[in-house]
Amino acid sequence: MSARSWVANEGGKHLVLMLWLGTNTWLFLKTFLLYSTGQQYHYLYKMLGLGLCISRASASVLNLNCSLVLLPMCRSLLTFVRGTHMVSSRKTRRLLDKSKTFHVACGFAICIFSVVHVSAHLVNVINFSVSYSDDFPALNLARYRGEDPKLIILTTIPGVTGVLLVLILFLMFTSSSYCVRVSNYEIFWYTHNLFIVFYIILMVHMVGGALKYQTNIEAHPPGCVGTNHSSTEQHGDELEQGEDEERTCREQAHFQPHYPQTWLWVSGPLCLYCAERFYRYIRSYDPVTIVTVIRHPCNVIELRMLKKNFKARPGQYIVLNCPGVSSFENHPFTLTTCPTENKKTFGIHLRVVGDWTERFTQLLLPEPRIDLEILPMVRQRRYPKLYVDGPFGSPSEEVFNYDVSLCVAGGIGVTPFACVLHALLDGWTGFRLQRLYFVWVCRELQSFYWFAELLCAVHQKLWQENRPDYFNLKLFVSQTDNLQSMSDEKYRPLTSRLLVGRPRWKLLFDEIGRTNKHKRVGVFCCGPKGISRTLHRLCNSARSSGTTFEFNKESFS
Amino acid sequence: MGKIEWAMWANEQALASGLILLTGGIVGVAGQFRGWQFAAYAVAAGVFVCLLEYPRSKRSKGTSVERSGQYCFTVCVKAFGPLTRNYYVRAFLHAAICVPGGFMLATVLGCVCLGIASLIYLVAAIRGEHWEPILPRKEVRKPITESIKNPPQNPPPRPPAEIRRKRVDDLEGAAYDNPISVTDNE
Repeated sequence: MSARSWVANEGGKHLVLMLWLGTNTWLFLKTFLLYSTGQQYHYLYKMLGLGLCISRASASVLNLNCSLVLLPMCRSLLTFVRGTHMVSSRKTRRLLDKSKTFHVACGFAICIFSVVHVSAHLVNVINFSVSYSDDFPALNLARYRGEDPKLIILTTIPGVTGVLLVLILFLMFTSSSYCVRVSNYEIFWYTHNLFIVFYIILMVHMVGGALKYQTNIEAHPPGCVGTNHSSTEQHGDELEQGEDEERTCREQAHFQPHYPQTWLWVSGPLCLYCAERFYRYIRSYDPVTIVTVIRHPCNVIELRMLKKNFKARPGQYIVLNCPGVSSFENHPFTLTTCPTENKKTFGIHLRVVGDWTERFTQLLLPEPRIDLEILPMVRQRRYPKLYVDGPFGSPSEEVFNYDVSLCVAGGIGVTPFACVLHALLDGWTGFRLQRLYFVWVCRELQSFYWFAELLCAVHQKLWQENRPDYFNLKLFVSQTDNLQSMSDEKYRPLTSRLLVGRPRWKLLFDEIGRTNKHKRVGVFCCGPKGISRTLHRLCNSARSSGTTFEFNKESFS
Repeated sequence: MGKIEWAMWANEQALASGLILLTGGIVGVAGQFRGWQFAAYAVAAGVFVCLLEYPRSKRSKGTSVERSGQYCFTVCVKAFGPLTRNYYVRAFLHAAICVPGGFMLATVLGCVCLGIASLIYLVAAIRGEHWEPILPRKEVRKPITESIKNPPQNPPPRPPAEIRRKRVDDLEGAAYDNPISVTDNE
């Protein structure tokens, strides 16, 4: 592990993490100190003790995190920020790749601090009941001394809303584990959409004013002795001598409940997120026209579509919704062809694995009926209605913004890079990219036929235009039994670059490092976890050639 | 669209509620609040629920991801046979466990969460799901059939092609002897 490689790869993320932790800690401590030492909370603190400070401090941290957790989910906004190169540098755009991780971190913080907040408030409720204050009846939440705490919770607005909030949070948290998301995405999606109920209840959580602060500190300094009050903690003599003007109360203490503050924190991001969802709904309102459906080997279908005013950059992905298959399911697919001025259609390659894709393929390519095979007749293709939401940004958009890029694809993970290759085919001179290393690992040889023509076309074009070192291709077939060969003569550039077995990543990195000394190479990985972990580790380790490898991972979940 | 496996979600919820029950119980016992006996019960119940729910079930379709170190728990839970396989039993068990938690403030939350988990288990049981242990796959070697005892390693030795070519003019002289006798089933 080299410090320089590590800083280049992980530095930005950890800086943001430190900033976020620091903000949370500062907010927690500030609120804690306010409630434990603030004059206006003196009597309340005497009644409730530490529970007051901990609960209010965790509440302010919860406010912050509930407002931050929505921001990484505004995908269209993030795509826009990614697209404007003037606003953000490459380092900032690289941080946007981790938006989902930030969302999860804020979610965890919300859960942990909710536990702290609830525990502290349970202690508060017990103290409200036990230390019922006869001196300052306005401060009390309980109606009489020794009221059952459960009754206090269930008859006040903060109590009831608190219980509901915890239940919703429990449902949302338990259904967002990796296991549930992978096996039943619908459970995760529907329970997570309860967030809107959560936020509405959160904004009314403070109504009712359980905690009050003192408004007239100058007239009634806390700890002062009233004229008709007998103070048990002061002796008689000291009372005569030590009593100054400011120790007598001029008036009774007045208390006022807090103005609910949560809506100040939360309403901004909530409105932003709702606006984003509304914008996405409007944008995907028109169904797309399906132009062609092509069947490829190894269970892959290519779909070409047409939509008005659809613009996309290479590497972006779209989300498909087909009401004929399922009204509420949305599935993301990376674009393999972007619309250009000459060709307005855009396309995706989808692999048939799972019930949604199977049903979708059945609707697109209905199986030919046996009896109709005898009489060949032209049947009109009735394609199902399809809605497309997007395009959304992804890390693979940055391939063109490095001098040298290494793209590693595993199986169907080649789709973002296919779009990149199409863009190169259209015109490779306009980009900052000077050299592209392309490594594609597949289980079966037949998979390479998905993009064999594209690869050969790019190779051919660059050789013709006298840049043979621009595109460096390596194909790997990992399953070594039952190996056939690509016998077609037009795929010669591919067969000569085809290797059998798994790639040796360290050697590959050494080779790239030797030929690109002291350069910054962007590594883009889209494939199984094993490959991306190995590549990440290699990017973080030391290089004798002085090359820095920056790791960018595309994730599909 | 597609079959939803409710048991998986119920398992996550039950594990989380076990932890919440345990935490609430510890707080209740430590603070010596009124009714701390219920909190002590909640500690024991929380530990039991966590142990029962830690091993994940095998999915009916698709790959199952097991929790780290769950193999010994799987073996223990599997030993109870139909009691742990059936989700009706689990649903009623959780419903019964959660009731005493409702009597003390610190454990109320764990009680409610476990109640919700028990309801989801009931839904899973009605849908006909059951608990399957995730066991390590044993490599099954296909038994080698009787006829292939010792397949030959080398081709039979033959003289070079020009000698083997049929000499029509001299049939007598074209015959040759194999240096090693070639028979089948040797």
